[in-house]
Amino acid sequence: METQLIENALRLAGTMLTGLVVANFVAAKRWDYAGNLAGTAVIVRQIFHVHCAYIIAIIGSLALLCLGWPHLLLADGMGRILSAFFALFWVSRVVVQLTYYDAGMRRDDRAWDLFFLGVFLTLAIIFGLAAYQP
Amino acid sequence: MKELLEIGLQIGGWSLVLLCIGSLWIPGILGWKEHLVALPPLMRELWWTYSIYVWSSHVFFSVLLLAFGGWLMGGTGAAMAMNTFMLLWWGVRLWLQFFGFDFREIGTNRFNRIAKHLLTALFIGLVVLLAGLLCWNAGILTP
Repeated sequence: METQLIENALRLAGTMLTGLVVANFVAAKRWDYAGNLAGTAVIVRQIFHVHCAYIIAIIGSLALLCLGWPHLLLADGMGRILSAFFALFWVSRVVVQLTYYDAGMRRDDRAWDLFFLGVFLTLAIIFGLAAYQP
Repeated sequence: MKELLEIGLQIGGWSLVLLCIGSLWIPGILGWKEHLVALPPLMRELWWTYSIYVWSSHVFFSVLLLAFGGWLMGGTGAAMAMNTFMLLWWGVRLWLQFFGFDFREIGTNRFNRIAKHLLTALFIGLVVLLAGLLCWNAGILTP
């Protein structure tokens, strides 16, 4: 597959990842993270916020890389390793969505459920292509 | 300096391997299951999902330090970007260790105290190592 095409696909991935960063903040409000965590121990709240922030940092940094320097993910062996890691990352996210998250809640928000499944799957495919591009 | 950084990469990488293995006991030691009972299912699921993704990132970092040390010291823009990302990651974690987390709810038995000090030492070591790698790639440190 042409390198230029993969680079454009990575830029598309960068746009989707930027959307996911924004979605994380929307989700925090929609699912009332603060209210739900209010009754738990302080350390539990803090660990949740830290993990949440680190996940956003990973996704945000990857978005920046994909939008600004997609060629780096195709440049050498390390770029391919990084792409393979993120292909695995997003494939596993599809599996988590399908097998772990509450089925009832997913049914109640079927449209969003399918939308995010599509996003995660697309990201997995794009990074998979970047990793295995000949 | 090059040899010192190479040794640092091995120590840092294996320390992260130990951290990843040790992390498997953290939920039990901190009683996560009991704490999380009060949360709605979605929040619990998010909790475990985030935790596993952060853990897998640590596994990835350990692979990078142990198997791709040469690349991390290669002086390329990508290597500097990765070093900067990991430096920020562990720098923030070190800051949280001193100024972020409230450890008062965790028992102060001997095991917990030693574990806390070891973690602090690990975070300091990683920050020093990654700052060193960044300086090396920027040409501030010479062989």
